[in-house]
Amino acid sequence: MIYSYKKIIKNSIPILFVAVLIEIFAGSILQGNQNLLIIFPIFLLSIPVINSVGGNIGSVLGARLTSGLHVGYVSANLKDRKMQENLLTAVIIGFFTYTILAIIIYYGASFANLTNNMTIFTFITIFVATGFLLICAVSLSSVLAAFISFKRGLDPDDMVAPVVTTVGDVLGILFLIIIINLIGVGI
Amino acid sequence: MFAKEMAKQSLPLLILCGIGAIAAGSILSLMNSPNPEQNLLLKIPGLLIVIPAVISMRGNISTALGSRLGSAYHLGIINKDNLFNNELKQNILGSLILSFIMSFLIGILAYIISFFMGLSSLPNPIIIISIVVIAGVLSGIILSFLTIGIIYLVFKRGYDPDNITGPALATFGDIITILCIFFSTFLIGGLI
Repeated sequence: MIYSYKKIIKNSIPILFVAVLIEIFAGSILQGNQNLLIIFPIFLLSIPVINSVGGNIGSVLGARLTSGLHVGYVSANLKDRKMQENLLTAVIIGFFTYTILAIIIYYGASFANLTNNMTIFTFITIFVATGFLLICAVSLSSVLAAFISFKRGLDPDDMVAPVVTTVGDVLGILFLIIIINLIGVGI
Repeated sequence: MFAKEMAKQSLPLLILCGIGAIAAGSILSLMNSPNPEQNLLLKIPGLLIVIPAVISMRGNISTALGSRLGSAYHLGIINKDNLFNNELKQNILGSLILSFIMSFLIGILAYIISFFMGLSSLPNPIIIISIVVIAGVLSGIILSFLTIGIIYLVFKRGYDPDNITGPALATFGDIITILCIFFSTFLIGGLI
């Protein structure tokens, strides 16, 4: 037998613990910006979308890399061509996904009166800029998490997803708040 | 070649998952009702702090499960005809125990953090811990069944599970987790 529940728990607890600490920090940022989220509910609605797309693309990339490492068609080296090809694809797919979703969210939200007179141009700029920054950060952390855990002899499958989604959640919330302040929504 | 396969198998699913996340976000903005009487975020102090942690814990544990099962498939340990074996059971048991431990921890940490943030009204530690543990374990059980279902369908279709399980679990996970937080908030709120 290859898997045992005790080994899975033992391997996962340290990284999950760190992830929980960082996520609680992300939650505190949300709590601190509660007023912004009450005035513009479209941003509260956007947060799971921004984070989930970032986490999804990072996880797909990570899962592909970890299977590649297990089987041997990807080597744990930053110059690996297969890895670079996968990374670039992840960033391009991310950009398209965010742009399409931004349009869907804006029209859905204006239908439900959640936009508070923000223009579609402002919203798409904020959403796609946040998403693009996030995808770059998440893809890089996915590659690093897969390679480092593989080199240390840990099962990268237990490591990549927590690292990617945690980095994605905190940076997603942080980037969104920073970009809203840079572009300005008039509050 | 790999990149093309990734774009073809992932992009439609990613957009679909994004739409699922919009549903999750809508539930979240329902909790943030403009009427202060019905605003759960204002009524249960500390709830906003635990939401990212619970959602991400759920996502972390489930996608790690999906990712392990993906590698198990590539290594030939599980396949379409040999799915419900002991390897699968060990994986599920491990992720359920992890859900319980981590939920408990999130509840305790949220209480400590809101203490240090100096929130105007402090959460009751028993209430916030119960909400998180019920939401965490309940969503864990639902998602384990869902994982087996997804893995089974992916095998039948002959797709690479690595391209599918992560996004599918993360997205269903978010919606199910936010619904479970909603449910346990109402349950605990009704008991006090």
